[in-house]
Amino acid sequence: VPASRAGVAQYSTGVRKVTLIPGHGIGPEITVAVQKIFEAAKVPIEWDEVDVTAVRGPDGKFGIPQRAIDSVNENKIGLKGPLMTPVGKGYRSLNLALRKEFDLYANVRPCKSLDGIKTLYDNVDVVTIRENTEGEYSGIEHEIVDGVVQSIKLITEEASKRVAEFAFQFAKDNKRKKVTAVHKANIMRMSDGLFLRCCREMATKYPDIKFEERYLDTVCLNMVQDPSKFDVLVMPNLYGDIMSDMCSGLVGGLGLTPSGNIGKNGALFESVHGTAPAIAGQDKANPTALLLSGVMMLRYMRLLEQADKIENACFTVLKEGRVLTEDLGGNSTCSAFTQEIIKNLD
Amino acid sequence: QLIPKAHYGGRHAVTMLPGGGIGPECMGYVRDIFRYIGAPVDFEVVDIDPTMDNDDDVQYAITTIKRNGVGLKGNIETKSEAAYVTSRNVALRNELDMYAYVLHCKSFIGVPTRHKDIDIHIIRQNTEGEYAMLEHESVRGVVESMKVVTASNSERVARFAFEFAKKNGRKKVTTVHKANIMKLSDGLFLETSRRMAEEYPEIEHNDMIIDNCCMQLVAKPHQFDVMLMTNLYGSIVSNVVCGLLGGAGLLSGRNYGDHYAVFEPGTRNTGTAIAGKNIANPIAMINASIDMLEHLGHHFHAGLLRRAVNKTVNIDRVLTPDVGGSNSSSEVVDSIIGNIGKS
Ligand SMILES: Nc1ncnc2c1ncn2[C@@H]1O[C@H](COP(=O)(O)OP(=O)(O)OP(=O)(O)O)[C@@H](O)[C@H]1O
Ligand SMILES: Nc1ncnc2c1ncn2[C@@H]1O[C@H](COP(=O)(O)OP(=O)(O)OP(=O)(O)O)[C@@H](O)[C@H]1O
Ligand SMILES: [Mg+2]
Ligand SMILES: [Mg+2]
Repeated sequence: VPASRAGVAQYSTGVRKVTLIPGHGIGPEITVAVQKIFEAAKVPIEWDEVDVTAVRGPDGKFGIPQRAIDSVNENKIGLKGPLMTPVGKGYRSLNLALRKEFDLYANVRPCKSLDGIKTLYDNVDVVTIRENTEGEYSGIEHEIVDGVVQSIKLITEEASKRVAEFAFQFAKDNKRKKVTAVHKANIMRMSDGLFLRCCREMATKYPDIKFEERYLDTVCLNMVQDPSKFDVLVMPNLYGDIMSDMCSGLVGGLGLTPSGNIGKNGALFESVHGTAPAIAGQDKANPTALLLSGVMMLRYMRLLEQADKIENACFTVLKEGRVLTEDLGGNSTCSAFTQEIIKNLD
Repeated sequence: QLIPKAHYGGRHAVTMLPGGGIGPECMGYVRDIFRYIGAPVDFEVVDIDPTMDNDDDVQYAITTIKRNGVGLKGNIETKSEAAYVTSRNVALRNELDMYAYVLHCKSFIGVPTRHKDIDIHIIRQNTEGEYAMLEHESVRGVVESMKVVTASNSERVARFAFEFAKKNGRKKVTTVHKANIMKLSDGLFLETSRRMAEEYPEIEHNDMIIDNCCMQLVAKPHQFDVMLMTNLYGSIVSNVVCGLLGGAGLLSGRNYGDHYAVFEPGTRNTGTAIAGKNIANPIAMINASIDMLEHLGHHFHAGLLRRAVNKTVNIDRVLTPDVGGSNSSSEVVDSIIGNIGKS
């Protein structure tokens, strides 16, 4: 996606402002790591740091603070760490609220095998693209009578079309060969049927990209057997949530895989792992996922040179395997890992 | 069993639904083997035309299963994309009220896989949830699909899972859900299983969000013992684990209600692309037929066949291409027949 489409705030100096949401738990430490690396790589961006901890609004409900909303609306681009949603009634997931607020309709998660990260799978190179605004996450639920509960999955033509278009355009821009629509239209005939029809229709506009449709369960089966069968996958919300985590498991887990949420008016890049409260504040967290999300963001902003430089340095450190955090089987701290990446920048 | 199984002169009548794709050929193998070992089972074969827009065939199949109590089935296709035509497989499970699905996922030592020694039981709610098939288009281009979760069905399947764990000497039940998002529906399912867990203090209970669960399954599958979940998550998890164990051609699944039981290949695939080529792996269907023999109490014949399958797959390693072999379907079946009584 060209940055022009997102209208990134740009100043005459060429320095662009980016909203930074450090988040909770290990969020602040991995954010600092990313900031240090970006600074060392001389990335021309200025961080606008905001806190999104839910505050009680005038209506008595908890929501994102206005200051954070204003910042994203102004900058149109952001980087965010993990957020904690308090358990209990009345709290809506903050992640969900952010996606809704900024209409971030497509969630993109590349999962690629990394040299130096030993898993049972090598040669994984898939990108999951998930519809991010409706589906099973519509939040419409009710108890009809005692003991009978309904949750409504909402599929609209508009949302399905735009995510399908995004997927094909992404495939084209990134020189990908195939888009697979993942669905369950044999059961959910109308809802997934609609999603599928939108994908089929979009496929006709991208004749150079191969299109296939597969049942969700069959994709699960085939993915764990032979991930090389897949390239770009596009799917409704819940399936995307599940498949993206599973693919990330194939290449070493959420501590390593980046993610981006793209909308009409902006984009928010984030690490999708949790807040890891058990290790928070101990300088043990692995900042790779957030850093690679930052790299994705740089590419989105067309800062390709810096993106490549940082990504290469990160990959080199992972590959050499001398300085790694504990989750990767090493015994280094987050700061040592960060320093090692900085050392490898040029 | 409230309704007795059809039983005539020491023999059982069982409904056979070959279904589409590789179903008919696999059923042929089962019949050959049953004839060879003299299994005391008579099949009543019902073919369902996948192109029909009405449910007459399915209704007839349901009637015969109600009469016989037991069925063996392949995957039934529903070719029509018309919204009013419901999935035949779902209609069958719902009308027979087979609320629990059991899939035993145990590694085969003869089949090369990335993970070894997996032994997981998947228990899945089989009749509601995302498969309620209640959908409508409110206005053009806006579709709602209902997921229905009831306390009574959640309770029945939770009871089933914990009883199952207890009877089979299992230590842990993991409830899989997405209650952080679907707070009411998955929340009800989770709460129900937590309450049930209190009645079984000797069995450990934990829960896991479905996306994390799939990630854990591909990386660290050995942490799971018995898994309990709603319908769609069941489909996902079953296929992930079958994939880890070598694919769609090995494992068998069991549908249980209070009155009827239907046995089928575990991943419920049709296998359209490989039909009629003598390359489909017949083991999944044969394993389903062994489950069926055991259910009917024919332990001698079940044991005979189970040992022969074990020898063919794990010792002689006569395997179809999907699990790394180079044998045809019929060679696998011949090997099994040759191994009867020989282990
Ligand atoms: N970036 C990271 N670096 C190192 N370890 C991590 C990282 N992210 C997650 N982990 C580890 O992975 C496991 C799962 O953590 P995660 O934070 O995703 O879930 P959680 O602890 O339930 O938090 P939350 O409730 O916020 O989702 C934990 O053991 C955690 O320590
Ligand atoms: N018995 C079997 N032996 C070998 N391979 C099998 C068997 N059953 C299924 N497969 C393989 O598993 C994969 C998924 O099965 P299948 O294609 O039937 O999925 P499906 O989604 O049900 O599609 P369709 O309805 O078009 O057949 C395919 O690669 C298929 O070849
Ligand atoms: Mg997730
Ligand atoms: Mg299928």
